[in-house]
Amino acid sequence: MQITFTVNGEERELEVTPYTRLLDLLREDLGLTGVKEGCGKGECGACTVIMNGELTASCLVPAPQADQAEILTVEGLGTRDDLHPIQESFVEAGAVQCGYCIPGMILAGKRLLDENPQPTEKEVRYGLSGNICRCTGYAKIIDAVMMAADKLAVEGSDSND
Amino acid sequence: MTDQNKRIKDYFCKHTTRCTIEGVKKSKRFVGHDVLKADAWDKVTGEAVYPDDIFFDDLLYVKIKRAVHPHAILKDIDISQAKKVEGVVDIVIAEDIPDVRQFGLIIRDQPVLIAPGEKMRYMGDPLAIVVAETKEAAKKARDLIKVKVEELEVITDPFRAMEDDAPDIHPDGNIVITHHLNRGDVDEAFKNSAIVEENRYQTQFIDQLPMQNEAGVALYDERRGVINIWAATQWLHDTQADVAQSLRLSKDQIRIIQPTIGGAFGKKEDVSVHIHLAIAAMRTGRPVKLCFTREESMITQSKRHPITIINKTGVDRDGYLTAWETKFIGDTGAYASSGPAVVHKGMYHATGPYNCPNLRGVSHAVYTNNTYAGAMRGFGTAQGAFAYEQQMDILAEKLSIDPAEFRLKNIYQKDSITPNGQQLTHSVNAEETIKRVMELSDWKGGRK
Ligand code: FES
Ligand code: FES
Repeated sequence: MQITFTVNGEERELEVTPYTRLLDLLREDLGLTGVKEGCGKGECGACTVIMNGELTASCLVPAPQADQAEILTVEGLGTRDDLHPIQESFVEAGAVQCGYCIPGMILAGKRLLDENPQPTEKEVRYGLSGNICRCTGYAKIIDAVMMAADKLAVEGSDSND
Repeated sequence: MTDQNKRIKDYFCKHTTRCTIEGVKKSKRFVGHDVLKADAWDKVTGEAVYPDDIFFDDLLYVKIKRAVHPHAILKDIDISQAKKVEGVVDIVIAEDIPDVRQFGLIIRDQPVLIAPGEKMRYMGDPLAIVVAETKEAAKKARDLIKVKVEELEVITDPFRAMEDDAPDIHPDGNIVITHHLNRGDVDEAFKNSAIVEENRYQTQFIDQLPMQNEAGVALYDERRGVINIWAATQWLHDTQADVAQSLRLSKDQIRIIQPTIGGAFGKKEDVSVHIHLAIAAMRTGRPVKLCFTREESMITQSKRHPITIINKTGVDRDGYLTAWETKFIGDTGAYASSGPAVVHKGMYHATGPYNCPNLRGVSHAVYTNNTYAGAMRGFGTAQGAFAYEQQMDILAEKLSIDPAEFRLKNIYQKDSITPNGQQLTHSVNAEETIKRVMELSDWKGGRK
């Protein structure tokens, strides 16, 4: 069947089977390999994308369900030369180890800050609770999200001037 | 510098934290400075390439048919139905690769494929390699392979495995290796001890659980006679050598390219996808990809050893350790992997960071039909720590002294000698560490 959806701001039309997972569609058909598979069971958060504004485990979503959806993956956030403040904070806080959980962590952080721009540390922990980092760099990942909140606040006040 | 060399240098500069593209400057760059991880940019943008992220246009997908019973003789394998699945390109069984040899980290005891008449020894043992145009076709064909087996006694307990009437899992018996430790006169020292305490401890299997499962891609360059394998490994050159000997090729015919690794923690020391990928690539002449699912990774690849530790510890009236006897028995599962080294190292750490003049130890790695156990952080010492620290607590209680003070009395100092005979000549800060912990935790002698 044919589906139409927007990925990272770009409208795409694709042929999918009913049993294709959104995860495979993004990784294999669209080459968005920043979306990772850790468990395939909705447990680890490595495959996290933001779909219609919500954090979504793409390994659990049949591709046809993405019809008409708006999807953001880590690739849509920023590029090497123009990092999003959250990405920049992850680099600067030393939050990145093997990196496999990082795209999901970054998107979970973004979703949190979109809704709650000045979260407490407890709220950050809660916001990231669907994502596992086996390298266990949680302290620095939390620092990175807190740092990003500060950066975004400064940016926000600049643009208001 | 040729373009190719520049690319390689660029790759290593980007993918290790050990150099910079600008070239090596004088030291003092790292110590005392915040250093940004060189590959962090790749990883926060999703650009970093992990094994599963490598694609080729004419890529084929590989799935492995695995054992159907943890200990059984394979009587027959029937791939006729599986072969009919649309999209299947090749199904390899043991008779197709008669010259391929076993592999393994320390002992080459792992078969590449089990042949009829041979035994499967755990649920991860491979029976067939399925290669197809799509993942779905490969899976479907794998599930249509039929096997007949003759079931044998399943041994899940190393103590059962060591009994005389237990069936041999491998031809040379179930005890893979035995190590001994002897220093001083243990019997005499126990006799003269104020208290002797003997206890048995048991640790469990732990999966290292890196976030990225075992995965890889291989491409056979027929003109050069080289197999390129993009797959994670913790021992690049050992893996290369082991894959080469298994396939009876020379090392320079096996090129292992390390993509970004999504964690390893010991689990990626063992060969996983490599040999099956190489065989599939050579037979089909096309690029091939094999990615384990999480379940497959858990069933197939190594674990931290469950270890049974029997510790007998003597102490004198003044609270000094007099003698320590340890039995250290590791369940290494179906294959040896790093087991012989893990139980060796674990035994040498039997007393932890505590001085003890008289020592006796024996350690075994034992085959069972469990998933094989190998390397994981600490290499046997984490298991031992649980046991010796418990001994220390129990002895402190019997002596009615503060467990922290008891540790301070016995803790390693400069010039202490470890059970394997190493004299510690510098950097022994254990006493300071304990004191600092007591201070920071506002230690009240273990009482609430
Ligand atoms: S891969 Fe989707 S949650 Fe783990
Ligand atoms: S950085 Fe390795 S899993 Fe999070």
